[in-house]
Amino acid sequence: MGEFEVHRVRFFGLVPAGVRCLACHPRGSRLALARTDGAVEVYNFAANYFQEKVIPGHELRTVESLCWAAGDRLFGAGLSGDITEYDLSGLSAARGVDGGGGPIWSMVANSTGTQLAIGCEDGSVKIFQVVPGGIQFERNLDRRKGRVLCLSWHPSDTHIVAGSIDFFRVIDVTSGQTVQRIMVNHHVEKAKRECVVWAISLLSSGTVVSADSFGRVQFWDWEQGTLAESHTVSTSAALSLAVSEKEDSIIVGTSTGATYQLQLLPVTLGGQEKRWVRTKPFQFHSHDVRAVAHSPTALISGGLDAQLVIRPLMEKIQKKSYDAALRKFTFPHRRLVSCARKARLLLFQFSQYLELWRLGSTEETGKDGEVLPLCQMPEHLVQLKSKGPEHIYCSCVSPCGTWVGYSTASRFHLYRVHCDGDGVSLRKVPKVPKLLPPAYQLQFSADSDSLFVASARGSVHVFQLLEPGGCKHLHTLRPPSGCSEAVYLLAPSADGHWLAAVSGDWVSAVVPSVHCPLLQHHCTVPTYNCAVSALAIHPSTNNLVIAYSDQQLLEFSIPEKQYTSWSRAVQSRGLHRAWLERDSPITHITFNPKNPSHILLHDTYLLCVLDKSLPLPDDSTLLMNQSTLKQLPETARKRQLHAFKICKKFQPLLFMDLLDENCLVVVERPIMDFKTQLPLPVQQKKFGT
Amino acid sequence: MVAPGALRVVRCGGSALRGARAVFSADSKYLLYVSGDFVKVYSVNTEETLRLMGGHADLVTGIQLNPHNHMQLYSCSLDGTIKLWDFMDGIPIKTFTVGTKLLALYTLASAEDSVFAVIPKKDTFQLVSVTLTKGAGQDLEGKELSVVLDGVGASMKHIAFGREGAYVVSVKDVDLQVYFFKRKLLNRFSLSTTKTKGGDNRFSCVVCHPKEDCIATGHADGKIRLWRNFHDKKEYTYSTLHWHHDIVMDLAFSIEGTRLLSGGVESVLVQWHNESSCQKDFLPRLGSPIEYISMSSDGDLCCTLHTDNRISIINSNLRFSRSIQGLIKSRDVKTGLVVDPRTKALVLNGEPGHLQFYSLQSDQQLFSLDIVQRQYIHQAGLKQSDLVKVAFSAQGTWLATVEESEEVTDPELQLKLWFYNEEIQSFELNTRINTPHDNHITDMCFRDMDELGDDSLILVTTGRDCVFKVWVMVEDTDPEGDVSWSCDFVGSYHNYQATNCCFSEDGSLLAVSFEETVTVWDSLTWDLKCTFCHPPGNIRNICFGRLTCSKYIIGATDYGFLCCWNLLTCALEWSAQLNVVVLQPDPLSEYIAAISWLSKESSLFVFKPNEPLPVYIQRNLCKDKILLAAFVPRDEPEITSSEKYPWLRKSQLFFLTDTQELMTLSTKSLEERLTPSSKQLAVEESLPVTPFSLLLGKHRHQQAQEDTDLGKLVVHNKQKQASPAVKELLHTPAHVLPSASFLCTIFINSLLISKEKKSAEEVADEVEMESEKAEDDSDEEDITAMEQEDTSHMELLGEMTCKLSKSQEKELRKIRKMDYSWISAL
Repeated sequence: MGEFEVHRVRFFGLVPAGVRCLACHPRGSRLALARTDGAVEVYNFAANYFQEKVIPGHELRTVESLCWAAGDRLFGAGLSGDITEYDLSGLSAARGVDGGGGPIWSMVANSTGTQLAIGCEDGSVKIFQVVPGGIQFERNLDRRKGRVLCLSWHPSDTHIVAGSIDFFRVIDVTSGQTVQRIMVNHHVEKAKRECVVWAISLLSSGTVVSADSFGRVQFWDWEQGTLAESHTVSTSAALSLAVSEKEDSIIVGTSTGATYQLQLLPVTLGGQEKRWVRTKPFQFHSHDVRAVAHSPTALISGGLDAQLVIRPLMEKIQKKSYDAALRKFTFPHRRLVSCARKARLLLFQFSQYLELWRLGSTEETGKDGEVLPLCQMPEHLVQLKSKGPEHIYCSCVSPCGTWVGYSTASRFHLYRVHCDGDGVSLRKVPKVPKLLPPAYQLQFSADSDSLFVASARGSVHVFQLLEPGGCKHLHTLRPPSGCSEAVYLLAPSADGHWLAAVSGDWVSAVVPSVHCPLLQHHCTVPTYNCAVSALAIHPSTNNLVIAYSDQQLLEFSIPEKQYTSWSRAVQSRGLHRAWLERDSPITHITFNPKNPSHILLHDTYLLCVLDKSLPLPDDSTLLMNQSTLKQLPETARKRQLHAFKICKKFQPLLFMDLLDENCLVVVERPIMDFKTQLPLPVQQKKFGT
Repeated sequence: MVAPGALRVVRCGGSALRGARAVFSADSKYLLYVSGDFVKVYSVNTEETLRLMGGHADLVTGIQLNPHNHMQLYSCSLDGTIKLWDFMDGIPIKTFTVGTKLLALYTLASAEDSVFAVIPKKDTFQLVSVTLTKGAGQDLEGKELSVVLDGVGASMKHIAFGREGAYVVSVKDVDLQVYFFKRKLLNRFSLSTTKTKGGDNRFSCVVCHPKEDCIATGHADGKIRLWRNFHDKKEYTYSTLHWHHDIVMDLAFSIEGTRLLSGGVESVLVQWHNESSCQKDFLPRLGSPIEYISMSSDGDLCCTLHTDNRISIINSNLRFSRSIQGLIKSRDVKTGLVVDPRTKALVLNGEPGHLQFYSLQSDQQLFSLDIVQRQYIHQAGLKQSDLVKVAFSAQGTWLATVEESEEVTDPELQLKLWFYNEEIQSFELNTRINTPHDNHITDMCFRDMDELGDDSLILVTTGRDCVFKVWVMVEDTDPEGDVSWSCDFVGSYHNYQATNCCFSEDGSLLAVSFEETVTVWDSLTWDLKCTFCHPPGNIRNICFGRLTCSKYIIGATDYGFLCCWNLLTCALEWSAQLNVVVLQPDPLSEYIAAISWLSKESSLFVFKPNEPLPVYIQRNLCKDKILLAAFVPRDEPEITSSEKYPWLRKSQLFFLTDTQELMTLSTKSLEERLTPSSKQLAVEESLPVTPFSLLLGKHRHQQAQEDTDLGKLVVHNKQKQASPAVKELLHTPAHVLPSASFLCTIFINSLLISKEKKSAEEVADEVEMESEKAEDDSDEEDITAMEQEDTSHMELLGEMTCKLSKSQEKELRKIRKMDYSWISAL
């Protein structure tokens, strides 16, 4: 596998924001997720649940509710009282419309996606029409006192049910009148506490399902106003609820972090009479489960512990593939760390500031597995706070460590770092050329004299960096054919001749780089039906290595404009099953200059050295065989070797890079460290304590 | 031995009740449960065992009511037979011989002439349906077997039949199988075998919902799973209820299925409402782990069988109602068998930390004395304190107990002395001595001297700390003048561990064994008088001879020697090679019983110390190892067996096996031994109040009143005369009664005594007998058993009537005439 001196970095204090709401695309291909800091993410089910799009948050724009409408349009509404539409190709929030009823607690689209209903603080329910280019206020429904916390349309769009504190009401959409008002804790004696209806759903049969702060899931006949069934699922509040499309399964999230499934099951086998039965409990979260979604094949839950959990329903899955694996996502599927190799600096990106650290160093050497004492401690050099309410989109530090750049939704900033002895000073580079914001990815060239800025519509801007502190816009590279999606990944080659760019519609374009006088588009990698999660250009061969979100690896020779023979061999043979069934995508690729046949890859849970010179493993051999290899004698070990050398020592792994030939830096964020930063969960008695 | 009066080993208590779930009769008045080889019928109202149904040759493994006749019961046994009983009368109706071991029995209302049973097949077990042939005789073959399920569990808890018998569920390890009879569909579901987070998915029991298609399974880690939709291999689903922290031993649904009862080692009965994990009720402190739960068919009662052979009956509102407890099985009988001189009850370990007083006559626990007085917590690896030694003073006024914690090194010891308080009729703690010895206490005894009064009361304890201690009562200094106990003398011998102690009958000598040596001490001066030794081997038991043999001391050693030393000559009188496990002197005679354990059989030897030859030998007393024995004094000396077995005259010998079954030796046959109450017919109490019974009652009552002035004898006479026919009529189960028209004449005849008597008047002295006989003749085809009973008690009657003169009789007849006219007026 090769031996490295490893800088094991644990001082990246990232705390991912909790999940506030989820919205499943009606056709079930995408999932929109909003976090408590206002960030919106889109996950693609087809591409192995890859986090396809991220729209960073905004201090003033909290999102309480998300919904898909009119096809692929995504709307969000929050306590600011605005309804915002998200531009998914431009990865930005566009057009806010004031709801006019104070803070908005909930928003749902009707079954056809033509109308949006919002529930406001003042107790009103308003209907907006979705029109091309925006939304339009249509009408007010009957207003009653008490904030409307949750809403649900009847599948036939005739009625809306609105949940408030202590009661819910059913509103006829055509007349706008309240036709039924039901007190949820009417039958509870001495109900001193108020009962908050946190989530509600109106089924096509006319049954209203409510989840309330007493931990109950109740089924009501709204026409009669009677309680049909009541299930106390938890001793603490039931916060969220989602019904499957067939209306035979419900998932409920509670404030203890447990989720429960309720199923509509026949009382007798083959009988007509059916009853809701609480079936499976799941305890994946440590904190409140504020959002749940029910896709046709999976139960999806998001909690304030920042986890997104996708629990497949085995009975709905036809064949056992990686759809059948339980997935838990805590960390983003992209890099938040950049590394200045020569200067040995690390730049950490937080939502509203950056941190620049210098790595520690040691003079001692030791054996495999030994911890070396540091002679110089890692040093926090500078914290750079972004101005304004906007969150940071991307950041980068140049390889020489003298330039730092970041971008927000509206502005792009470039700083010059001066290290003189102990002191570090940052100076803003003046007169940065105005660009069409925002920048989605920044990348410095290997010799640190130019900067590539990925931008909307598939374009990449090239800046020349000038000493002592200035920059000049050189070119804008555009794809040959028109492209609407933004570029979100860039990879310059070490010799500065090539630049690879990945755009949202999954085309990897390769363009020759700055020094080449032609500066034109060179070629496009054949389209693949999954998103690219990482790519890099080999420093010596100029082969482009691409990792896709479905765990496939491809190697494309840029000069020859075709896949390399190794890549074809991999494709024809297929990768190991255990490799394909991993659930987190490769987030970074790098190469070892000492050994050109080595490719270093990592995802959240493993670090892999891919040795192209060794045979590929087949499904019968063990993929993670490092520990067994160690026990074998030299000769036997030779026979057992295969291309994938995997190390699972560092978890969860946020970043890995090669500083030099035998020095590696890994950035870990132990789950326990970040759990301690979260608020205390609901106190629960545990048996035996 | 000789055939007629041969001694038989008889089980008299402590048989495991754990063979199968108990069954309530259809009207919930009787509880039927398995006790060893027997099926017992217990009245729920009177808390008495009504009947013992014996007939199986091995353990009974399953009982079920006949679904087509609720007065009948099927039972199956390891002896390979299925018996059909009329449990109201205790009559075996039919016996079906299957031929293989039967491990569980199930009946279905929909299966007309078959029952289901579990039989072994090589290493696994299978569920078969046994066709019960309809034959005339009593003994029938039941060899028509058809396999329903293969690879099932051996316990009856591992199989359950679903709603209306539509399917059968079997669980084994982590696999669940459902077989649908109609569709002939077999579904298998497996849980994962990995034990993540302390979970253990192995199944422990299964039951089916009575109204819905829902299966409840209990698991080894305390979870309960409720399975639904199990007709679909993919879309099946289950929910989980979790309260128990250890294995769920049994489950039961209420009749409507709205409640689920579960029990386990926690000794808590949990009631789950509506399959919700949030609504549950508890009935805690049931005393010992719950093994089986069963429900009555009206849902009013449920009963739990416990691992210590106790049965609790619980109301539907989860209130403890009553319990049936015979000999409570404790984890380890460390105290030995001790007889309480006051109640003649057998005293031994009961519930953890308790001393049970077990009445041998009624096979019931008299009471349980909490000695340790600490809450028992069920938890693996937790060191508990338990009772290890018990001794009573001669009159039973003082009780000494020793308790120790389970730690091997440095045990926590406590010696407690209890005084019997007449007012509260119970023992009261008088003195508690912490750490009486530095190491385990090996033996303890009181000086038994009735005539010397309280001053002579001495307690001796021996310990592994190489000393024996003598404890005496001292007056307290406080004004109330209470007494307490304190140490008076500490003796040791060459720093050997003291193992046994024993007082001579007159209390003048104390024998203490120190490993290989027996030392004899003067109890007044505490001087060492002499020592005896029979190397090699440590002394296991010692005892003094009694009465005429009080000059002898007997000892048994580890190396299999039984020695008898003469105290006067200080020499070995005789020795015999015998691996003695138990050495038990009879307190009322000079006989000593020794029980040996050699090559997997226990043998009994009874001897007198002055004769080296035993008076009685019985080899192969029983299959199990006998651990303890005790002579229990009889209330009155038995005459019948005295010639042949003089050693059984004053006392009865009881012994306890390692499975904690209590046995005794008896000369009587089984039928004789049964208490009359068990023969009593149960109908009497269950007889409903009908106009007829009222009329009959009034008739009897008035008749008795009229007869009172004629003297007791007459009343006696008349009632006895009329009753057999009437009783017969009322007490014979309906299904064996002849037709009503046939009975009518008998009944009327029984009332028309006077006229018949007149004609028979002139015959002889035994007029009464004859008229009785006439009745019997007419009944002949009826029941022969009845006849026996009748004649036997007529014999008695005959003796009495003979004493009447003829003139007296004539007068009586006249009165009877009047009597008759009164009836006709009615």
